[in-house]
Amino acid sequence: MTMYKEIVEKRVDKALADDFLRKATRRATDRLRLGKFKAAQDLGDWEDWRLAGEAIRTQVVANLDFYLKQLIEQVEKNGGHVHLAKTPVEAVDIVRKLVHEHDAKNVIKSKSMVSEEIHLNSALESEGVSVIETDLGEYIIQVAGEPPSHIIVPAMHKTRQQVADLFEPIAGHTLSSDTPTLTKFVRQEMREKFLHGDIGITGCNFAVANTGSIVMVTNEGNGRMVSTLPRVQITLMGMERIVPSFRELDVLLNLLGRSATGQRLSSYTTILTPPKHSSDSDGPEEFHLVILDHNRSEILGDTTFRRALNCIRCGACFNVCPVYRQIGGHAYGSVYAGPIGSVITPLLEKDWDKWGHLPYFSTLCGACTEGCPVRIPLHDLLVKLRARKTLSGHTPQIEKRIFQGYRYMFTHEKRLRQALRMGAHLQRPFVKHERIVGGPPPLSNWTKSRTLPMVASKSFMQMWSELKLSEKSSNSDPIQ
Amino acid sequence: MTTPSDFISQLATKLGRSTPSQTPDPVPIHVPEYRLSGPEERATVFLHNWQALGGKGAIVKSTDETVQCLKEWFGELPLDRPAQQAIVAWDLLPTIAESAFTTLNWPLVRYPQSALDTRERYAIAAQAELGVTGADWGIALSGTVVMNSNPQRGRAVSLLPPRHLTFIETSKLQDNLFEVLEAISATGSPPAAIELITGPSRTSDIEMDLSIGVHGPVEVCVLLIEDELKD
Repeated sequence: MTMYKEIVEKRVDKALADDFLRKATRRATDRLRLGKFKAAQDLGDWEDWRLAGEAIRTQVVANLDFYLKQLIEQVEKNGGHVHLAKTPVEAVDIVRKLVHEHDAKNVIKSKSMVSEEIHLNSALESEGVSVIETDLGEYIIQVAGEPPSHIIVPAMHKTRQQVADLFEPIAGHTLSSDTPTLTKFVRQEMREKFLHGDIGITGCNFAVANTGSIVMVTNEGNGRMVSTLPRVQITLMGMERIVPSFRELDVLLNLLGRSATGQRLSSYTTILTPPKHSSDSDGPEEFHLVILDHNRSEILGDTTFRRALNCIRCGACFNVCPVYRQIGGHAYGSVYAGPIGSVITPLLEKDWDKWGHLPYFSTLCGACTEGCPVRIPLHDLLVKLRARKTLSGHTPQIEKRIFQGYRYMFTHEKRLRQALRMGAHLQRPFVKHERIVGGPPPLSNWTKSRTLPMVASKSFMQMWSELKLSEKSSNSDPIQ
Repeated sequence: MTTPSDFISQLATKLGRSTPSQTPDPVPIHVPEYRLSGPEERATVFLHNWQALGGKGAIVKSTDETVQCLKEWFGELPLDRPAQQAIVAWDLLPTIAESAFTTLNWPLVRYPQSALDTRERYAIAAQAELGVTGADWGIALSGTVVMNSNPQRGRAVSLLPPRHLTFIETSKLQDNLFEVLEAISATGSPPAAIELITGPSRTSDIEMDLSIGVHGPVEVCVLLIEDELKD
């Protein structure tokens, strides 16, 4: 417990001391937030679209068993293979087996948050399989050996010089750090890999239940490469990523592009119904869909938190969160950061010791809830998670003591009077400009970054009794 | 590995009921869809949005106009030398496109027939200067071209060359995405791939600095062929 607490504090301190990270986080989130604001305007009443998005997602989640069954049947009817994984370990095993069966040496990947969730790359690499992230941002953090810091812009925290330094050993010569040079290097570097990939692994923004189609929303074109060129395509999806039909897809695509990057549609929105038809001149001959549970079914059975499954992974809540905007994604320590990450990580990972800090990475201002295109009440869920954690007995000892003390004092008038008098006295060495600026632990946890108002020299209870006394003495002459 | 029936029945248990046997009622959707007044406005708005994303675009009525446009856009490139296989294309392009390339004497390599081996076809598309396709629909609101895959086409044509040129008849333009998805649904089972392309390949992954052409085409061009307009 203490160990995790220290790790969390260290991560946060590191983030707060990193000026570039904080500047970059603000720049990225400002850009994305304003982009969304502008793009939302041309849809007419954005709130109508949000309501429709919420209704669609809620209905899908409430009928998830039906739609998953339909999706599985359709994919198999189309000639694809479906693999169901209860745990991340099972999902990794499925992919690993497929890679071995095909004797694949070169695996190329487009962006997939599920692959981060199950830590797929390290598992494959440990067996000597080369796995290349082909999204520019994902490639940067893969070379750096870091997790994503933003769900949409994963390498946002890196400076262009850091990117150039990372790429130079691969290029074998010096690279200037301007964007066109770096982009061009990646284009050349990746081309060969695309053309010679044995297996392509993709993520999935939506799966269409009644057609067995996979929808990918990308901007660079790497998602298309990975799903067009290799002979075998493996797609990873969280089991809730479903839409019933193309009818609902319209609403969700309109919401997703705008909420994620302020685009009406991303450069490439690709609707795949693999495998390729036998006489098609390109496309994968073999298609495997890996569907991951990883405690999503637990969330489904929990009516308090079921709505968290409505998420469409746009990242809009990151961009408005005052906590995320100060510390960026790495301080959270989880694969999914931001408000939605703080909600789902404790539920997916079921480890309060490790992830119990996340529901507190919030000011509860509600900006995430307002920003969510499918109206998930994120701040409300964060409060409920805090309650869940407390009820499960995972409150730190010190916090328990404080609240015991609070109850001891506030349930007896005399004790409270005494405590307030003592407080007014004891605070003296720590007061500066009428604010408490220091103190012994646990008070110092607060005062090391903020001040507290002084304990008043005369308490309200004192003032009240004095007022009553003066009332009594003037009773003979009541005020008219 | 969990079997599908176990997996599904576990979810039904979590939902506290048995799995419905009928498709659940779709939710009512009331959203203000984007509508334009008619074909002329549709073409204008489409072009405006396409160009705003950095694409080149023009409306053409005849082979001559098409030839002029192609010369202006690609005249500098070595497209007229057969040995270079500089242009890859679908098997069949709109008539105006076919006659314009014939007039210009720019040889087209038909991608589906370009090689027997798939990897060789990729190599041909990857070294070409220009990929030429038609399109099935366009979306005015977002400036998007939409194309289905089929054996006479090829997905790599709009992906691997550094430039992509699309020919689309104005009658194929729609106002919004909903109409296109509805049209796709109406055709029955979807093809292996439907590509919705909205501008060139782009990324902002380095310091939020927009950069064009990281993996897909650097330059995208559309020629709108004015045909019998829908009203």
